[in-house]
Order: sequence, then structure tokens, then C-alpha cells
Amino acid sequence: MKLHLPESLDEAVALLQTYEEARCLAGGQTLVAMLNANLLFPDALIGLKRIKSLDGIERKADGAVAIGAMTPHRAIAESSQFGAAQAILGEAARGIAHPPIRNFGTIGGSIAHADPAADLPTALAAAAATVEIYGPKGARTVPVEDFFVSYLTTVLEPGEIVTCIHVPRGPDAARCAYYKLSRIAGDLAILSVAVVVAIQDGICTEARIALGGCGPTPIRLTAADRALVGEPISDRSIARASEALAAECRPFDDFRATARYRLRVMPRIVRRTILSAAGRA
Amino acid sequence: MTQPERLPVALMVNGETQEVLIEAEATLLSVLREHLQLTGSKRGCNQGVCGACTVLIDGRAGRSCLALAATLAEAEITTIEGIRDDPVGARVIAALVEGAAVQCGFCTPGMVIALTELLRAKDRPDLAEIRDALSGNLCRCTGYQKIVAAALTLASNGHGE
Repeated sequence: MKLHLPESLDEAVALLQTYEEARCLAGGQTLVAMLNANLLFPDALIGLKRIKSLDGIERKADGAVAIGAMTPHRAIAESSQFGAAQAILGEAARGIAHPPIRNFGTIGGSIAHADPAADLPTALAAAAATVEIYGPKGARTVPVEDFFVSYLTTVLEPGEIVTCIHVPRGPDAARCAYYKLSRIAGDLAILSVAVVVAIQDGICTEARIALGGCGPTPIRLTAADRALVGEPISDRSIARASEALAAECRPFDDFRATARYRLRVMPRIVRRTILSAAGRA
Repeated sequence: MTQPERLPVALMVNGETQEVLIEAEATLLSVLREHLQLTGSKRGCNQGVCGACTVLIDGRAGRSCLALAATLAEAEITTIEGIRDDPVGARVIAALVEGAAVQCGFCTPGMVIALTELLRAKDRPDLAEIRDALSGNLCRCTGYQKIVAAALTLASNGHGE
């Protein structure tokens, strides 16, 4: 296996195309574990750490934030750059694995790996984020929900690299909550729920609910969001949202939980998370 | 069979530059243990889960089993062997000894590194912060109580310089 540490994106893209099975190396917190376990046999790793433009969180004039793909979870967990709706990313990042993993694991690595049990993909879906990609044909941007295609599979074409995650400002009256159900702290989620709601004069004016661990990709459904909008948050509106989401859930059986357990517990966690978000001033 | 290609890499470990000839896939942990004979960092899971291999990389606690050594030419690495020369690290070690917070000792190097990172950043962490800092370090003797108690004593005494 070869290792390259290019200093520019163009150099990295060219190197990716030189090999049959090259992989980008971001923080390595999943990729190196997979190499150690003999689950992956790339012919080259293209390390991105020297490409300085990929690191850091920048708040734009319109209130959107741009998060470089190589930004570690710790920086997201501790950032003061986020507005009311974007704060869901900090909450999700604070629950990822453990401090040493958060020191080195990156947002770009997390989404490019596309594990539906990971925290940031679900939070990004609730935050209406878009993913900026750079490759042989130049740059393109895709909504985060279209970025995930299936389990561990994204829209990235050969030679393409995730460069930045853009998170819009969202409603100023937003309140958010992220709930991760796991047996022990630091594990990947059995399932997770991310909620961003805007409440004005007691009425829910906007809502975005996303589920992780309930299918091969994060689940977000306009019908479920709409079920909450136009009235105060209530048991009835929450039940309608849960029912809509349940119809879209395609969970797996795995060693963390059965699909049946996930389906049964989902409405309770959705309810808890919506109430938690709505209760926050 | 062709020999796997080896790369010359200069690593800064515990304040000294070490020249090693390693394969691209060599983890920092394997280089520390097998090339540099620094066997204080332990190989538990080799998956980043157990925390026994934790070292400081540019001052941040990180898994040496998940860091490829050949990517660390510009980094400063501190292992359990070097942490005693750090004033905070030395106090952490003394507190664990004083509190008899060691059973088999396999997890101890990682625990020391995790606590050193915490106490360098924060003079008087509370119980929740100590538990969070140690949340990625498993002790299979289940001897957590004395480790947390030792850290708490250090924190409440104000370990600061």
C-alpha cells in the first residue's frame, strides 16, 4: 500500500485517479480500524491532513456556516459559531464516541463513511445541510439527504472528495434536540433522532425531523415535518409525525438491536426528542 | 515475493527525533512498541475502543492504534514513558500511585494520558468532566472507582502550577 500526503485538492484528486482502489484518509478513526481488522485492502491512501483549506468552521455574513471536511468532531462540539438551528451539530458531536476519537475523527470522514448509525449524518439531515464535493470534473454541491445512497454508500464518484459541509442559518426561533439511544455511552447509536423546530407564539412554524439507525441512510420525510407545523406541539401532532416516519423505516437486525425493537422504540424516542426540543427556550 | 516498500520517517517522540523505516500501514502503536521498544502503550483491541494505546499527539489524546505513523512526521508525540517529564503528567502518576488506583496496570498508561489532557486544559474539573475524559478508557479489572477518586482528589486540590 502506498501513502500520499498531497498539499492541494487538485493533487489529491489526481492521485485518487492514479490507483484502482485508493481511499482518502481523513482522521483515520474508522478507516485505520478497518485496515487493522483486515476489512479493507486499498492500494493507496491519500491523506488529506496537509490540505489546509479543508480544516475549520467559518460563519458567513448570511448566518450560514461552512465546515471544512477535515474539521474534527471536537471543534464542532466546542464551536461557538453555530446559530439556534445549527446548534444541533454541536449537540450530536458531543456524543460521538470518546474524547480521543473526537480529537481526530472528522465530519468529512464521518459522512463519507456513511454509517447510518453515526451521529453527524442524522443531525446534518435535520439541519438541511449541503455537501460540497470536488473531483475531476470540478466542484458540485448536493443536499445531504441525496448524498447518502445506501449503507456505507454515497454519491461520491471515483476521484471525488468531500471538501465542505454547508449548514444554512435556519429559523432564528429554532430549538433543537438530538437524542442518541445506545446501550453504553460512546457506542454507535441503536437509533438516533434529530429535531429542529421553530416555535412562534406557541405555534410550530417549521420542523425538520431526521432518524438515524432506522434504515440504510438517515430518514427525513416532508410529511412527518408537516404533521407538526401550523399548531402547537401536542401528543396528537407528534403521533402523526411518528406514524409517517414509521412507514419509511427499514431498520436492520444487528448486534446492537433487532429491527423489531427499533421499530417499537422509535416513536417513543421521537416523542421524547420533539418534546425536549420544544421545551428549550 | 517482493519486500513491502518501507518509508523513512522521522518521528518526534518524547522530545527526541527517531528515524524509523516503516511500511505505510504501520500504526504509531506498532512503531512505538516494535521499532522504538516503548512498550508502555498497550495493544488491547487495535480498534480504538479500549484506550490502552492512548498517547498525546500534538498535545491531544489520541489512539496510537488508529494513527498511521508515516502521517506524523510533523507531530509531537508523548507516550507514557515521556509523560512523567510533563509537570501535569507527573502529578497524575503520583495521584494514581497515592490512591492505589492500579490493579493489573494494563489500562493505566491510557488513563494517565487521558487525565493529563484533561488537567492541562482545566485546573479543577468536576466529577462529570473526569468521567467524560475517562469514558474512552476501559479497565477490565473494573477498577474505575479508585482512578476517578484519585483524579478528583488531584482536581479538588487544584493541581495547577
